[in-house]
Amino acid sequence: MSPIYLTTFGEISTASKLKKVIRMSAINKMNERLTGQDNYFENFEVGAVYQHARGKTVTENDAVTICHLVMNSASAHFDDHLMKQMHQKKLAHVGESLVFGGVTISIVIGLSYQDTGEQVIRELSMDNIKLTGPVLHGTTLYSYTEVLSKEDADDDSGVVTFRHYGVDQDKSLVFQGDRTALIRKKQY
Amino acid sequence: MNDQANTKLDFLEKAVLWDKGNTIDAFDDGRVFYHHWGRSINSGDNSLFSALTQMYNPLYLNKEYAKAEGHPGCVVAPLLVFNTVLGMTVEDLSLRGPFVGIKDCKFLSPVYESDTLTCRSAVLNKRYSESKKGAAIVTWKTEGFNQSNELVIEFVRSNFLVM
Repeated sequence: MSPIYLTTFGEISTASKLKKVIRMSAINKMNERLTGQDNYFENFEVGAVYQHARGKTVTENDAVTICHLVMNSASAHFDDHLMKQMHQKKLAHVGESLVFGGVTISIVIGLSYQDTGEQVIRELSMDNIKLTGPVLHGTTLYSYTEVLSKEDADDDSGVVTFRHYGVDQDKSLVFQGDRTALIRKKQY
Repeated sequence: MNDQANTKLDFLEKAVLWDKGNTIDAFDDGRVFYHHWGRSINSGDNSLFSALTQMYNPLYLNKEYAKAEGHPGCVVAPLLVFNTVLGMTVEDLSLRGPFVGIKDCKFLSPVYESDTLTCRSAVLNKRYSESKKGAAIVTWKTEGFNQSNELVIEFVRSNFLVM
């Protein structure tokens, strides 16, 4: 007895459709077991704003480790003594190392990621990234996300654009940026 | 004792600063910089970055999940690709002043563990500051490539350079 997809899709497309069905069912099984079930394409509504559950104090370890890991060689991110001298000469606003902006962006998006990134099939783009206040070792970051748009892409996925906001412990905005990703649908 | 100390510190007087980076006058329109080093992203880099920044998607942290989704192994977190390419451009472009913004960042192709990233940037624009003499906002387009010379990321960055 032929399985139903043979008669439904015809012979030529059978192989690729079958491959996709098998692949999707394997992923769906793992996906159901390993990830949250409230953060699929269908779950996002345009205009919704979320406050993400965790905050994070950016330690010197986080900031300097990532800065060196990605080979950013700007002393302002890891030479406290230089920054103190620059500050005394009024060449810097603060007399200590500044957290590299890429770290701030990654931690704020990271804090949102269990909600806005766990079902990502592929990250597509980022835009309008601004760093609007200093982040120092010891600054605590909180993450908020607004859903700007969503668009159907495929049977199994859709494209969502988010606006991420990062604020510090005093609720000052330190980062804002838009991010677009291809996100899995729950019903496939 | 004092003489000894003075002898030992002679090098401080003799030393000439072996400075790094470029100043505003280096950034002529269209000039292209091929940035230093290159970076192979190994699995430790990806795991450390993804775990440290809480980038919780199993694609970056669970090899079996990534393979079930059709990838050869863990996908490198796109923000690590972004940070690494940005990091390698800093010495040539932006040692002399703070970040202003990033636009039009596109993740064009997935990066996998053990891929090697290299990058280059072109000067798009230089605008001298009206309020701060000698300072300028410089804008560059940066492109990052993998070992097959495939474009994996591009973005446009501006910094406020003070000299």
